[in-house]
Amino acid sequence: MPKVTINGNTIEVPAGTSVIKAAQLLNIPIAHYCWHEGLSVAGACRMCMVEVEKMPKLQVACNTTVTDGMVVFTNTEKVKTAVKWALDFHLINHPLDCPICDQAGECKLQDYYMSYGLYTPEMNQPKVKKEKVVSLGDRVVLDQERCILCSRCVRFTKEVTKTHELGIFNRGDRSQLATFEGRPLNNNYSVNTVDICPVGALTSKDFRFKQRVWFLKEFDSICNGCSTGCNVTISYNQNGVFRVKPRVNHDVNGFWMCDSGRDIYKYTNKEFRLTQVVERSEKLGGDAVRGKPVALALQEIGRQLSQVIKNKGAQSVGLVWSGQYTNEEYSSMGRFFKDLGVSQFYHWKNNEKDFDSFDGILKRGDLNPNTAGLKKELAGLKSWADFEKQVSPLEMIFVMGPENFGAYSDLEENVKVIKKAKEVVWFTACESSLLKEFKWLIPAKSFVEKSGTFVNSKGLAQAFKAGLTIVPDAVSLEEAVKGMQESARMVS
Amino acid sequence: MEVKLLSEHYDKKEFRHLEGYQKLGGYSALKKALKMKPEEIVAEVKNSGLRGRGGAGFPTGMKWGFLPQNGEPRFLLCNADEGEPGTFKDRLMMERAPHQLIEGMIIAAFGIKSQKSYIYIRGEYYQPYKIVEKAIEEAYKAGLLGKNILGSGFDHEMDVYRGAGAYIVGEETALISSLEGKKGQPKLKPPFPAVKGYLEKPTIVNNVETLAAVPWIINNGAQGYKKYGTEKSPGTKLFSVSGNVNKPGVYEVPLAYSFKDLLENECGGMKPGFKLKALIPGGSSCPVLNYDEAMKATMDYECMSQMGSMLGSGGVIVIDDKQCMVDLLNVLMHFYHHESCGQCTPCREGTGWMEKLSSSIGAGRAQLSDITLLDKVARQMMGTTICALSDAAALPVISFVSKFRDEFEFHIHEKKCKVKGHCHAQSHH
Repeated sequence: MPKVTINGNTIEVPAGTSVIKAAQLLNIPIAHYCWHEGLSVAGACRMCMVEVEKMPKLQVACNTTVTDGMVVFTNTEKVKTAVKWALDFHLINHPLDCPICDQAGECKLQDYYMSYGLYTPEMNQPKVKKEKVVSLGDRVVLDQERCILCSRCVRFTKEVTKTHELGIFNRGDRSQLATFEGRPLNNNYSVNTVDICPVGALTSKDFRFKQRVWFLKEFDSICNGCSTGCNVTISYNQNGVFRVKPRVNHDVNGFWMCDSGRDIYKYTNKEFRLTQVVERSEKLGGDAVRGKPVALALQEIGRQLSQVIKNKGAQSVGLVWSGQYTNEEYSSMGRFFKDLGVSQFYHWKNNEKDFDSFDGILKRGDLNPNTAGLKKELAGLKSWADFEKQVSPLEMIFVMGPENFGAYSDLEENVKVIKKAKEVVWFTACESSLLKEFKWLIPAKSFVEKSGTFVNSKGLAQAFKAGLTIVPDAVSLEEAVKGMQESARMVS
Repeated sequence: MEVKLLSEHYDKKEFRHLEGYQKLGGYSALKKALKMKPEEIVAEVKNSGLRGRGGAGFPTGMKWGFLPQNGEPRFLLCNADEGEPGTFKDRLMMERAPHQLIEGMIIAAFGIKSQKSYIYIRGEYYQPYKIVEKAIEEAYKAGLLGKNILGSGFDHEMDVYRGAGAYIVGEETALISSLEGKKGQPKLKPPFPAVKGYLEKPTIVNNVETLAAVPWIINNGAQGYKKYGTEKSPGTKLFSVSGNVNKPGVYEVPLAYSFKDLLENECGGMKPGFKLKALIPGGSSCPVLNYDEAMKATMDYECMSQMGSMLGSGGVIVIDDKQCMVDLLNVLMHFYHHESCGQCTPCREGTGWMEKLSSSIGAGRAQLSDITLLDKVARQMMGTTICALSDAAALPVISFVSKFRDEFEFHIHEKKCKVKGHCHAQSHH
């Protein structure tokens, strides 16, 4: 394997490695706009200029392959001047509208100006005017004046989605990014272009103007949108969660995630959530009563459960599981019920027909993050068809319902089936009018509020941690078990 | 004195057609070549010292030698996208001697073992396109192209492709992009075309004049070619001379011919009332030479390089004392700004910036510091991009500003033109 020395630090890298990648491995920063590890090399921004020993001209680190014994410098005066000017060329026609730009705070033009620029601008000519606020599709908006034409987004649609919606049209400084006629940027991976846009040219319609990024905190998590389990970073503050971005994991999602996965945060925020216990009983006149402390509610449910088991037997209790909970939750809840002799566990899939489908990139038809974990933790799961046959005699069922109702296209239909049971305890993160007739609705934690493990479709177990609290009264299934177990055992 | 190795019969109408061309000795080199080994052809061209006539002057035989020796299919492309301002020799060659080019291409293709070639001809050259296309047709009919050429067992197909009007497509990798049906933009190197070119296959791109010189070299041998010119600039070259000279036109002279002789003998001197002020020796991208330099210059690669300029494509632009250098630079800056492909940032942004600076100087809207800034911008564009367009735009700026600074300063101080009192640059926006 060839060895390269960069700024005096030597590293051995696999043959074919580029200088920019080798520098990255050595933690030596090299400024770049067009280079992206997940895309082909464009070599167009000319920011990553380095000095290579025995080469008279500066070279672009992105398209220079390491050869054995190569000696590279990123910090000579020649390099510094070249990078500073390359940056200046990027900025001379830039509108410098940072105060109203959504990218401010995470913009590579700003960052590099601070680390490589710090010059006094000499541009004293009228700037090139281009179009502002160009809608490229349902989720992405373009500002052509901010665009630095690095072509990352173009290459993304060419190489990753192979949908070819984007192109750079015209020449010279009249060049502009645009979509081909009649082909808006509406593929299910479109917002990745916003992530890889190093400047404020492409912004997300969903996120723009919602928050200044410096008012956001971040934590790592796993997308719960489907069984691929993309690694994500979640941005939030005291007002809730604002966006989900992909986090690199070459074993799972590479650099990308799908657009539907970007929406998962919405169902974690308060306006969609069930924030209190909802109880309905004859004693209370059949009306929904809200606000019983969750601990009391769980005690009462435990008591009712033990009564049912005592009077009608454990076979009169059933559990409906969606694949949206953690291994830890399945295991603890499963053990709790098995200890009570309950073994009628049914699997509720999101939609049977497309459940095993795959779009060839990341998105799977199994819109649950942990179907594999559910099957592993709870052996002997019965199917929904079994449930439909066996629901009527059931006295009491517990539904570990989906967090994201939108993913369950058969929700309404299946709720009708569940209603055939006498008493239903439904754990749900979100509120829905469909659930209003059930006896107990227990606020469940969303995936951002709990720690645990999801097993993806390839069998990879991925642990994640709670990032914030949104609904203080919400419980995980583990916590629910703790709340029920004392009273459930007391009677039996 | 002109030495017409290639252009001897250019003024004869019959030379434009197959019959006449053959009568005057045409395709004898091909017959000879087909009896040689391909390696011998490459060696002959290598030994002749023939350098690429498109502008860069890269040794042709050496370029051919970069092809991988693995039997992979390869392409020969003729660069007939003659777009360098001031250059019009390929046009003449294609109009007057299309078969000379075709013969050269077949020999070259045999040498590099290519079975397919294209002549990429600029879209504006409609007449040459028709002529070349007709000549190819003639060649096919005569068994000079197609299967089993002249019974040699060598197959070769040739086509003409018309460009869509972009200067940058004269750059060989941009030409390849364009031929592939893509936007005409240069490709990142490495890989070089000889390894991965047209359709990702090994590809050689040679200029019209380069390929047209091949039959003569095969007929007369490398040593014969080297009798002309200098050791590093062997042979003859066609120069296209424009400007206020008595006889502008295309002249074939041995390399290292003095510019003074070219001007005074071939071109008949300056037009009455005009004096030589400056010279752009090889097309608009080459740094300008002032009067003294021009008078000492010999038209070869070494001398031009010593003088800080280039022989380029041989587009000799004679600038007289009635021309305003600011005005001329404005025209050039407008051209390069218009033609930058926009891929690399320094060129995309820099060409526009330079045009604006240059025109504001011409219009008297600038300050002295803008001359320095213009020069600085140009220097920072040098050597920073994928292709040489950035350098091509920067070099005239640096040379114009350093050699004719007084004219630029005059425009700023007096808000009028030093040469004409009033020039286009003043009204130019």
